[in-house]
Amino acid sequence: MRYLQPLVVIIALIAAAWATAAAAPTTTVQDVAEGLTCQCGCGLTVANCNHPNCGFSVPMRGEIAGMIRKGMSRIEILDAFRHKYGEKILSAPTTQGFNLLAWVIPYVAVGAGMLLILIAVARWQRPDAAEGGPQRQATVSAVNQFDPGLRQRLERDLKRQL
Amino acid sequence: MTLIGQLALALGLLLAVYSIGANIYGLRRRSGEVLASARHALWAMTAMVALAACGLWTGLLRSDFSLEYVASYSSTTLPTVYKITALWGGQQGSLLFWTLLLSIFSAIVAFQTRERNSEIAPYVLIVMAAVAVFFLAMLNFVTRPFDAMIPVPAQGTDLNPLLQNYWMAIHPPSLYTGYVSTTVPFAFATAALMTGRLDDGWIRSTRRWALFSWFFLTLGNMFGARWAYEVLGWGGYWAWDPVENAAFMPWLVMTAYLHSVMVQERKDMLKVWNLALIGLAFALTLFGTFITRSGVISSVHSFTQSGLGPYFLTFLLVVVVAYTGLLLSRIKDLRSPAELESYLSREAAFLFNNLVLVGIAFAVFWGTVFPVISEAVRGVKITVGPPFFNKVNGPLALALIFLMGVGPLIAWRRATRKNLVQSFTAPAVVGIVTGLLAYAFGIRGWYVLTGFSLAAFVLGTIVVEFERGVLARGRMVHERPPRALVNLVAKNNRRYGGYIVHLGVVLAFVAIIGSSFFKTEVKQSVKPGQSFAVGPYRLVYLGLASFETAHLENLSARVNVTRDGRSLEVIEPAKLFFKRQQQPATRVAIRSTLAADLYVVLAGVDDKTGMATFDVFLTPLVSWLWLGGLTMALGTVVTMWPNAHEREVIAAAARRRMGELERQLAAEVRGT
Repeated sequence: MRYLQPLVVIIALIAAAWATAAAAPTTTVQDVAEGLTCQCGCGLTVANCNHPNCGFSVPMRGEIAGMIRKGMSRIEILDAFRHKYGEKILSAPTTQGFNLLAWVIPYVAVGAGMLLILIAVARWQRPDAAEGGPQRQATVSAVNQFDPGLRQRLERDLKRQL
Repeated sequence: MTLIGQLALALGLLLAVYSIGANIYGLRRRSGEVLASARHALWAMTAMVALAACGLWTGLLRSDFSLEYVASYSSTTLPTVYKITALWGGQQGSLLFWTLLLSIFSAIVAFQTRERNSEIAPYVLIVMAAVAVFFLAMLNFVTRPFDAMIPVPAQGTDLNPLLQNYWMAIHPPSLYTGYVSTTVPFAFATAALMTGRLDDGWIRSTRRWALFSWFFLTLGNMFGARWAYEVLGWGGYWAWDPVENAAFMPWLVMTAYLHSVMVQERKDMLKVWNLALIGLAFALTLFGTFITRSGVISSVHSFTQSGLGPYFLTFLLVVVVAYTGLLLSRIKDLRSPAELESYLSREAAFLFNNLVLVGIAFAVFWGTVFPVISEAVRGVKITVGPPFFNKVNGPLALALIFLMGVGPLIAWRRATRKNLVQSFTAPAVVGIVTGLLAYAFGIRGWYVLTGFSLAAFVLGTIVVEFERGVLARGRMVHERPPRALVNLVAKNNRRYGGYIVHLGVVLAFVAIIGSSFFKTEVKQSVKPGQSFAVGPYRLVYLGLASFETAHLENLSARVNVTRDGRSLEVIEPAKLFFKRQQQPATRVAIRSTLAADLYVVLAGVDDKTGMATFDVFLTPLVSWLWLGGLTMALGTVVTMWPNAHEREVIAAAARRRMGELERQLAAEVRGT
């Protein structure tokens, strides 16, 4: 358990950094529209809505272009839409409060899995095997002292198999 | 028709219940005759379900609107091929189709096990019949495909226009086949737990079934992506929709399973893990159906929502609890003297590969259910869409590709320095050089560069493996390389089929990077005779063409695609209008090459001026995705192909088992 806490913190920090880096400010309509979900029922982002004359995504893309011209950053535009429509408008959860769990839990799960593997492997490793122990050395030695006649037969059988 | 269909389904249910009862009774009484009767009942059940399916198909083909299902999902003007595919276009029909597949697989298993696996066969058939009972109960009592329509309408409502596409003729059947066939390994695993026969017998018996399931899950996902690409008209093929996710998760878990069983076969390890994985894969197929049917999570695939959700959720919970309980009750017997010498070994690479695959499956599951959790906890509706899944799964996908290169080349037990240098130097150099070349050609972005490098690295490892095998054959049996290559694959089909699958994954991965990071979009309104440029192409708008049938109206724009002043072809993106459903739809025009797809959508037409608006995407490498899918399918077929050596191994195992049984019998006789 004493290893688990720092691991969780590190994973959380990496996840948060990843999410924050991904939310770095850009100013193209496409990038902002990728961050918003179309509400027409298509289930796609505002950038990808497949309805040519969609009553939601088409005007929204125009609105985004206007906001960019006013000098607003990607985050400011997303915030403005979040205030207007609620969180469901965002195409990914925020990285604050309860929503942080969405980002962190998958990495925590993989981290926990990794820890389990490390523990299991530590238990499964035989001390002598890890050191290339006597049994393994005996096998290597036996192979080296292989009877030439036996080796020849083995090669013949192998050829037949091939 | 109504009466025959309902009767067939009712008899099917009774026969499934009888089969379970007869198997239990036959096991208790040790009566071969009763057990045979249970098997015959399953065959009769299959005949009944097939009769019901044929009944519904007949109703669809004859436009018999006295059936509510036919009236809801067909019309007299619907093309015949879509009348056939309408069987899985609606709730009741798709559930009937699912049950038909399950019945057919149960019948095959009953046939296969009439002489083999006699100890666990009754338990396997009990599990399969129990699953059939659930589906048949749904069809008999909850969502009935043969309900009558009163009064009988003169015309049907028609099939959803989005489903009137040829990919819909093969996508759902492929995916359903993949889903339903996981029942077989699941049934064998459950039977192994019930009987205590916990060696790898159940894995060997179901190896082909597991591969069969994976094959169809792969194709099902690919066909679904192709359908989305052609029909939805947004230039993409994967939107991380909950139903797409539901199809992707069993594929991931089955992939993990197909790798980890190799460790059990080779080293007698991971018994619990393999049993857990197959249980999880089966549960996820039920979860997928639950999502599609319940409407709990909003999805673009909500063609067939109904009140089935609670029933599926209950069944899912029963399966998970019962299977977990069974697994825990056997946990002591499943312990084996596991041994793993080093992290630098193939078995360790498989462990990490399993971690990443199941990790991705979990991330997808978590993202899919998180909106429900958020609403339950905070009362706030949120959306978890593509940006989330891409960011979370992106790094895991890189790790998976890396392990895909390492796994096949690293030695079992413990890799020596020599093994590592010999195996990985050339692929590593290829990977690094690819990354540097990509950078030199102006490609930027750490993910893209790392992805291309890793893809080249894996490709290098595959080439090294084939080269080694071919050279070995050349030395040992003096074959020329082309013949050596053919014989190498033919005689070691399981191993080299796996490498072909890996090649397919690499192609698909490169396609995903190319199409995700380098897609360009151009929107342009032009009058007839005017043109505009998209990448290296120039598109000349020639004018409109239209036609009308009893079923739909079609308005096409004729566009001449030119490059360097040379005409390549005339394409016709169109807007369709389906008369019965009063719904518009888009038919995109795609000019596909290995380098990039030119994807043209007719977004709008101004009737007065004749001006047409086009939405055009130039998507690099996307055709590699379909090529990768086909390569994966080919590799799976190679892997599944019967092999004389494998038959010998199975026969030897059977002989050993017979010997054991004879000894047991002799001991019992001596005891009495």
